[in-house]
Amino acid sequence: MNAIIVSAVWGVIMMFCSFLVKNRGSYRHIAAFGLLTLLVANILNVKGILLFDIDDHNMLHFSNFGLYFNSIAIFSTLVYVLLTGKEMEKYGKYAAEYFTLIFFVLCGVSVLSAYNNMLMLFIGIEILSIPLYILTGSDKKNLKSNEAALKYFLMGAFSTGLMLMGIALMYGGTGSFQLEIVRAAGKANGTVLSFLEVTGLLFLFVSMAFKVSAAPFHFWTPDVYDGAPTVFTSFMATVVKAAGFIAFIKLCEVRMVETGLDIDKTFGVNWQLLFAILIIATLLVGNITAVFQQSVKRMLAYSSIAQAGFMLFALFSLNDLAKEGILVYSVAYSLATIGIFAVLVKMKDFTFEGFNGLAKKQPVLAAACTIFLLSLAGIPLTAGFFAKYYMLASVIKTGSYTWLVIIAVLFAAVSVYYYFRVIQAMYFKDGEASTEEITPSFKTGLVLLSALIILVGVMPSLVLNYFYF
Amino acid sequence: MDIIHILFWCLSALALFAAIMVLVSKNPVHSVLWLIVVFFAISGHYILLNAQFLAIVNLIVYAGAIMVLFLFVIMLMNLNAEADPQKNSWMKIIGVVTGGLLLTMLVSAARSSSDIASKTATLKVGDIGLIQNLGKTLFTDYAVPFEISSVLFLSAMVGAVVIGKKD
Repeated sequence: MNAIIVSAVWGVIMMFCSFLVKNRGSYRHIAAFGLLTLLVANILNVKGILLFDIDDHNMLHFSNFGLYFNSIAIFSTLVYVLLTGKEMEKYGKYAAEYFTLIFFVLCGVSVLSAYNNMLMLFIGIEILSIPLYILTGSDKKNLKSNEAALKYFLMGAFSTGLMLMGIALMYGGTGSFQLEIVRAAGKANGTVLSFLEVTGLLFLFVSMAFKVSAAPFHFWTPDVYDGAPTVFTSFMATVVKAAGFIAFIKLCEVRMVETGLDIDKTFGVNWQLLFAILIIATLLVGNITAVFQQSVKRMLAYSSIAQAGFMLFALFSLNDLAKEGILVYSVAYSLATIGIFAVLVKMKDFTFEGFNGLAKKQPVLAAACTIFLLSLAGIPLTAGFFAKYYMLASVIKTGSYTWLVIIAVLFAAVSVYYYFRVIQAMYFKDGEASTEEITPSFKTGLVLLSALIILVGVMPSLVLNYFYF
Repeated sequence: MDIIHILFWCLSALALFAAIMVLVSKNPVHSVLWLIVVFFAISGHYILLNAQFLAIVNLIVYAGAIMVLFLFVIMLMNLNAEADPQKNSWMKIIGVVTGGLLLTMLVSAARSSSDIASKTATLKVGDIGLIQNLGKTLFTDYAVPFEISSVLFLSAMVGAVVIGKKD
């Protein structure tokens, strides 16, 4: 509860800052301070210290897993604001409002990591999405940004409609919005759930798959990520996407308890096969299309679809290893993507040619960029390696579908190709990569971030130990 | 078959017919007018389910406010049948197939659940749809989602200002 309320309050404070604080440059410092207090408030919640005593009538359930994910999301946002907060001031005069919207997104993230009632799921998804539509269209003079925002809004509204339909059907089947009652209904029925619930669950899955951009519901992703201002793409592709996965996992746990995973056949739907198909489609579309991109920004959009394919493994296997894995994956993927986008924002040309010869002009930038790309590709000694390792290990632990692991490894190999194209352009090609002015503090930030990625890559238990204590 | 059941079937037929007319009408203004008929029929269903408050809100908000806005927009844009872009026939076929699959799934879901069939109309059964009880649950059981949705509206308002105001 701490994180939900404190983030909403900070959103309001940032709104007031926009007309009370005249110095535009100080917004991001205020926001960073706010994120720090938010992080502290959330950690207090983990330790059992509640700032607010609210009877939520079992609408929210604060598990250790969800709260820990909150900390990861808030920390990633803090890193994001510190590294790229300055860029936000370029788009219109509403810098403080952008921070407001980011705080509201974090409020949605905290709701999604704790929901225990499908009404809260709906509200959480909406609080998460609506600020994003606005951030996507914040570059008002740019036609591409406008198009992306409209596309995102229309498609998002449609998928929300499907979600509501699914929730309504599940309500029709069970007579309640509570997740545990849905579970209990599945157990009481023993073998077969009512068809209404299965249909409702399928609808919910479709709309959640849309939110995390799993194929074949990914069509909005490249256009929106490409059209949105680069700073906000970075936020959308990291914190928001990971939050979508956390919400999805909670929903899948309902499925697991209902069906026990083993009685899929009596249930009528083979969920594991369904997810296996979803994963393969997502990996295929993401990786193969990314290979053919000419713009690094668009390549990263497709690569984010491919990464979503890997995160879907957690939903496929749904065991302890998968839950640990999704936390490590969120950290590894968020940090690396925030880093690479921070570099991308500074580039003048977003094509692969634009990176030619960057290593000679900006060696620190190129080196940091290389580490981020290696982490995204999943090379050992970076955080990305253990993220992928946990995901695949969780599938092996389920004891079946080993062929899925082999396919995933093959696609990971494909992904190395397009990530290395950037590294090749930076180090082995001659050219005049033009960047905007790079400040020493930005360089220091990148170096620290790369160090963090390598640290997590060497000791992934660093992330997980906090989860248990 | 008493009067309530006859009402139920009449309203259902009206709602389905009007909904099909929304899709079939070439003129967008006619579509909107048929949509208003759909909303009236659905409101009738709400009354049959003993949810008077919902029925009235549905009429005031949807048939009243939102549909009038719809009409305004359509009239301002001056859409007519000629301006309708030609659609690819493949897209039409794919649309029909996927829509048909969805319809089959929903119909089979509705048919297979036994407990719904008997509850076509539950007039005077239960009082959860009355405004007094609705208010009570909203401010006790559902207080948390009620309050948190204020964040949603606040972010939408901030968004409206950011997007709508001149730089």
